[in-house]
Amino acid sequence: MTDQIREQLSALLDGELPKDEMGLLVRRLEKDAALRRAFGSYALIGETLRAPGGRIATTGFAARVSAEIDATEATAVSAAASHDVQRPSRAAPAAGVAGQAAAAQVAFWRRPMIRTALAASAAAAAVLVLRPDATTPLTEVAPLQAANVVGMGSSPTQAQSQRLASYMVAHSQYSTPMVRRNVLSSLLAADPGISRVSFEIGEAP
Amino acid sequence: MKSREHGDDDAGLPAGTEQSDLELVRRAQRNERGAFDLLVLKYQHKVVKLVARLLRDPTEAEDVAQEAFVKAYRALGSFRGDSAFYTWLYRIAVNTARNSIASRQRRPLDYEADLSESEQNNVAARLKHDDTPEAAALSEEIRVTVNQAIEQLPEDLRTAIVLREVEGLSYEEIADAMDCPVGTVRSRIFRAREAIDRALKPLLD
Repeated sequence: MTDQIREQLSALLDGELPKDEMGLLVRRLEKDAALRRAFGSYALIGETLRAPGGRIATTGFAARVSAEIDATEATAVSAAASHDVQRPSRAAPAAGVAGQAAAAQVAFWRRPMIRTALAASAAAAAVLVLRPDATTPLTEVAPLQAANVVGMGSSPTQAQSQRLASYMVAHSQYSTPMVRRNVLSSLLAADPGISRVSFEIGEAP
Repeated sequence: MKSREHGDDDAGLPAGTEQSDLELVRRAQRNERGAFDLLVLKYQHKVVKLVARLLRDPTEAEDVAQEAFVKAYRALGSFRGDSAFYTWLYRIAVNTARNSIASRQRRPLDYEADLSESEQNNVAARLKHDDTPEAAALSEEIRVTVNQAIEQLPEDLRTAIVLREVEGLSYEEIADAMDCPVGTVRSRIFRAREAIDRALKPLLD
């Protein structure tokens, strides 16, 4: 981490960083734990100078908040997928797999958490989930068909699992890597029938 | 030149932070998680300190503060920027603490949920600070370390950081006061923070 970047971070804390420099810095911070630590320390220094005493957040607090948000997003993915079952008629004319599925979610996208939840479904952007006896690549399964079966029973069939994964692939462009990992973990935990995962599909933009 | 007062339980923050926070919120609303992580890092100590003062058991402060941040994230879509982000977050934290107390059937706080922010500030200020010896010791150690580190800074760095963090002046105002370019102010504040951060690191790691 260069001094220049840390100086930007210091300026950001003070609200003195030019807006056009903020985007890159935020993206750097997502990937750089040392940068996050420094920012937290700068904030603590100011807090201590302005209002000494009292309890402060322990090391790792912000990371725990982030993990908790990821966990709630993963839960919301399931809810969003279930909700989608009730709204298949919202599907717009196909403009590609992702386009179909996204169009079916018009109402949801107006709500940030649902947007985020659906974005989380992009976990599948990074994964290709196959069952032992599956012969059809998941990417070939129509996402809206998948949406129609998701959430219909507590123990999804083999075909349902494949379709769920396909549905998630369709939303891959909206997710972040961390969310993808969390949703993938949820998917694997929920379906013992999935035996192999490969990261053959590229990262979402 | 007029200094700005800060309290650990008021919404007042150094100049310039509101617009910067708003930009981070806008980015978080566009699913840039790093932007929300920055807001958590920035306000974690402030929120934990506030919640610890409100709760009867300050050891629960981090759990409640975490819940408040998660609630804030989930409600971020409703934040329109009519108030400062911290003011909004402050209300969420206070109400989350209140709900936590109610759910544990402890003695209710002596304020209503719909109190104005200034009234809530006054209540928070009146509440007894009750912390564990360990947390109090760490807080005191941090305070001493920060003050010692500041005393050891060269005068130009010390003046810049104090004018910023304690007096709440903008970079431009500090530049006027110190008769130097704004870029020099930015650099001095950064170097001051780096020096203090180095002193703090053994305590925080």
